Amino acid sequence: MAHAFERSITGKIIGRLDAVEQALLRSLLQQLAVLLHESDDGAAQDPIAQLVGIQDLAERPADPALLRLFPDAYREDEAAANDFRRYTEAALRAKKTSEADAAIAILDRADSKVELSEAEAKLMLAALNNTRLVLATRLSLTDETTLEQLLIAEQDSGGAAHLYEWLTWLQETLVRAVMRDETN
Amino acid sequence: MSSTDTLELTEVELDLAKPFACVVWNDPVNLMSYVTHVFMTYFNYSKSKAEQLMLQVHHEGRAFVSHGDREKIERDVAAMHEFGLWATVEQGG
Repeated sequence: MAHAFERSITGKIIGRLDAVEQALLRSLLQQLAVLLHESDDGAAQDPIAQLVGIQDLAERPADPALLRLFPDAYREDEAAANDFRRYTEAALRAKKTSEADAAIAILDRADSKVELSEAEAKLMLAALNNTRLVLATRLSLTDETTLEQLLIAEQDSGGAAHLYEWLTWLQETLVRAVMRDETN
Repeated sequence: MSSTDTLELTEVELDLAKPFACVVWNDPVNLMSYVTHVFMTYFNYSKSKAEQLMLQVHHEGRAFVSHGDREKIERDVAAMHEFGLWATVEQGG
């Protein structure tokens, strides 16, 4: 069992994950990166759009997991929501993709200890959160009760609900380690 | 200028005068600690204010976390989406 993330006496954030756990986390992050890359609907091929970060057409994602990562910014104004998407979604996708890639790179250089700078801790935190958002959508998690039911149904088979619970625990320990520096 | 034009102009002005708000909605995924951390780091809110807003999201389903003109609020909502929080632009509140 991992000790997950904690802040050491010297102030460094250290995650203790064994090789199996690191491989598992890496594979989940990799899936997130693939999903983000695949969702790129052509703006990346248009150099001008890429330059200005504005898309001619930014379609509302049909995949609920992507819609959770790129939600509507206006609830009752479709035109405003679409405009907001055109102006922000490409940059948001690029940010989430780079966070997933950075988290994978951190794991690639780690040994039995995953040592994180403050900036890296925040990248890892964001990538973990995005992974949980996607996994939760795939599991149709609507509340705590749903998760408990899924965990019981999976028993000890180590299915997706158990993975989700593990990621939740990882993120919780990481956010607490990061917050130990935020006083006031 | 026709009277219709004047009326439209007034409506636009009234519309702009209304304050906009960034609303964060409850979801089963974002951790209470993480949401507090986001409110503290992005908005520079104190821990007690951040926790109060987080609890409001948790118990009441949503909270108005910032107010301002449309440009500022759209920036705030975009930032919340970067953090993975479910946020929308609302008028009034």
